[in-house]
Amino acid sequence: MFKSIMAWVDERLPITEVIKSQAIEYPTPKNLNYWWNFGSLALMVLIIQLVSGIFLAMHYKPDAKLAFDAVEHIMRDVNWGWLLRYMHATGATFFFIAVYIHILRGMYYGSHRSPREILWWIGVIIFFLLMATAFMGYVLPWGQMSFWGAAVITNLMSAIPVIGEDLVVWVWGGFSVGDPTLNRFFALHFLLPFVVIGAVGVHVWALHAVHSNNPEGIDLEHKDTIPFHPYYTIKDLYGMGVFLILFCVFVFFAPNFFLEPDNYIQADPMKTPAHIVPEWYFLPFYAILRSIDFLGQMSKLVGVIAMGAAIAILFVLPFLDRSPVRSFRYRPISSKLFWIFVVDCFVLGWVGYNPADAVVLGSLPIVYVGRAATAVYFSYFFLLWFITVFKIERPLPVPKSL
Amino acid sequence: MSMVDQHEENRRDFLIMATSAVGAVGVAGAAWPFIRSWSPSADVLAQATTEVDLSSIQAGQMVTVPWQGKPVFILHRTTQQIEAARKDDGDASMRDPEKDAERAKKAEWLVLLASCTHLGCVPQPIGTGEYGGFLCPCHGTHYDTSGRVRKGPAPKNLAVPHHEFKNDKTLVIGKALA
Amino acid sequence: MKLLRIIQAALCVLLLLPFSVGVSLASSGGPALPQQSWGFHGPFGQFDTAALKRGAQVVVEVCLACHSLKYIKFDQLKQVGFTEMEVNALASTAGKNRKDALLSAMDADAAKESFGIVPPDLSLMTKARKGYENYLYGILTGYLKDEDKAAVDRALEDDTVSDAEVKELAMLLSMDPHHPDKIREVARRIKSGDNFNKFFPGNFFAMPAPLAADGQVTYRDGTHGSIAQMSHDAVTFLAWAAEPTMADRKSAGIKVILYLIVLTVMLYAVKRRIWARIHH
Repeated sequence: MFKSIMAWVDERLPITEVIKSQAIEYPTPKNLNYWWNFGSLALMVLIIQLVSGIFLAMHYKPDAKLAFDAVEHIMRDVNWGWLLRYMHATGATFFFIAVYIHILRGMYYGSHRSPREILWWIGVIIFFLLMATAFMGYVLPWGQMSFWGAAVITNLMSAIPVIGEDLVVWVWGGFSVGDPTLNRFFALHFLLPFVVIGAVGVHVWALHAVHSNNPEGIDLEHKDTIPFHPYYTIKDLYGMGVFLILFCVFVFFAPNFFLEPDNYIQADPMKTPAHIVPEWYFLPFYAILRSIDFLGQMSKLVGVIAMGAAIAILFVLPFLDRSPVRSFRYRPISSKLFWIFVVDCFVLGWVGYNPADAVVLGSLPIVYVGRAATAVYFSYFFLLWFITVFKIERPLPVPKSL
Repeated sequence: MSMVDQHEENRRDFLIMATSAVGAVGVAGAAWPFIRSWSPSADVLAQATTEVDLSSIQAGQMVTVPWQGKPVFILHRTTQQIEAARKDDGDASMRDPEKDAERAKKAEWLVLLASCTHLGCVPQPIGTGEYGGFLCPCHGTHYDTSGRVRKGPAPKNLAVPHHEFKNDKTLVIGKALA
Repeated sequence: MKLLRIIQAALCVLLLLPFSVGVSLASSGGPALPQQSWGFHGPFGQFDTAALKRGAQVVVEVCLACHSLKYIKFDQLKQVGFTEMEVNALASTAGKNRKDALLSAMDADAAKESFGIVPPDLSLMTKARKGYENYLYGILTGYLKDEDKAAVDRALEDDTVSDAEVKELAMLLSMDPHHPDKIREVARRIKSGDNFNKFFPGNFFAMPAPLAADGQVTYRDGTHGSIAQMSHDAVTFLAWAAEPTMADRKSAGIKVILYLIVLTVMLYAVKRRIWARIHH
């Protein structure tokens, strides 16, 4: 019975064949390590965010007068509302943990190199969409950090010459962040995740067209591949179990760890908190923005450009790296640069968390640390190009097959 | 694939079955909070009962109070109204026969859900219909002084919501749920 | 080997934690907050019913004079262990009925007139300040005692504060002795009647000491109402008010984590069995 129904459907829409070729028999490198789990983990968090977000939207009110109370209504009155909200808030953090590791994995093993440039670009677009979605979502609880975060980030657009000021007013729908802003951010925060879903679909499509990279960074023969199911289905499921344990520890036992106390104070347009910080996942970019403060009038514009460039540079990364070898396993200089880059991202994050006028290590203004770390950030991309285009780096011998 | 142990492959693998079962329980469990989030929330449940102060309602007077978002008539019946209701207790022509004493816990207080059993309109106040009771303006149903349907298209008597007299002066409509 | 890798990944995530905690502690100036032990902290910590009931009494009798807890209704106090009669009694001390929220009798305009600001709502207070419960406890206990005030007055008797007196005051006020001018100015403000609090950023604020005397609240359970006791109880109650669902969250959390550990171990076993077909 089931077989004959499936046969009827398959004649018209080849579901069975697509599932078989793309999800079951799909040839996958047999040497993928656990860093390859973070793609499916990101997808899992995306689903958690979508489901919890849709249910939150059923209780939330995107109105400047009601939003803060609506969140407390969810926390206190709605059955399991606290779980929906803490899941969603913690989910944002874990989304970025998964995505950052996923991106760094790609950078280390050369997953962005030919022929996977388009796959990589779609990934960067997803990353960008995620940042926009997360930013607008953070505005919705309408606490002090929501409000002032929105004010600061939207004000970045005022750095754009000529049209900047008008553009900001247009985005706000008023003369400051207010009810119209909250309302449109809610609409976009609801819409964008579905755009992300679409982009993820294209990302997977592009992946399946060129197939997975692997830790060796080499093109594999068929004998070195295994069917996706059951090998990687079970490995991904196991990874999800581990990831969920960590996720739930935060959801149930430290749900406010990644939240700022100030966001439990209702938005007050008359009073800025003493020290405003973005969410941790924006801190490195925020630090880059603030470290450009030595250009007088031009500081603001250049800071915004630098921050944008810090993300945009990922688009050209596939063309900066000219080495004949993809994986950093066989690239002694690149791999060291990579780890310096990773540490540098943490340093930038730490700089971003601290007040702009903080003094560290005795008497060192933190802004100097920020400038140095910003220089290191961009140097990574320059040096990667430099050592490969002039063949300064000598790759180790790469095996032909596994 | 040649390395696959056919014997192992064909055996009903207990471990995989058990893991799938445990996983399925988890998915069902995870669905529960989402399903429950649609049920009335604590602040809604707190509205399950309405307290009414009866001391200011004179005999013959009727008030309409909201209860769970619906109108409820509270009628302080006069002796004549009580007698009129009791007199008809045995009327065989009644569509939905009920004794007045079953409907009014205390004879002088009649508590009715003001929703016509025909199509849900709110009937007009006491004294507007035949039998000295309530007239539903939509399709002309007449209810008597006990809220029983006597004439018109409605199939049933006006419902009497759950209510209790906390003391002589205070009426509680509804059952506490929170 | 693979397991080691996953542990590495988890460690990377955990790297974030000390890093942000360290920074947040380092960035708060002023004296270190008193580190009280809060029984409701930690994965198994639950609220102490007796402390909650005492705390509710302090909050209703003292805090509610100026502050509100708009997200809590008197009726909800049944959840912390009060009977309906006790709830009614508590509500009537505040001139309210049990279906009302814990709103202050003082209206916002009057408050603004006498304090310059509207006293903030306390429903979320333990979640809305850096330092959380310890900060609130610090605020409640961080005012000057009468003898400390007398010492400040003595120092200012001759209208000048000598260097020796600056040292003494620095100790008393938990201030940095290297800024004598600041200490002198603070001493003058204290003498003029401004409200000094060790733990409030900037030291002066609109709220006079709410818990000023031992035994200010006569506890129904007979506990002696020292300032420390009242403060601890009040903060415990405010922590409950900030998140009445905490107990549900933790009990659900323990079940969920135990379940996930079982499932993950099983998934790992299945994964090993399936992958054994390749690495033989």
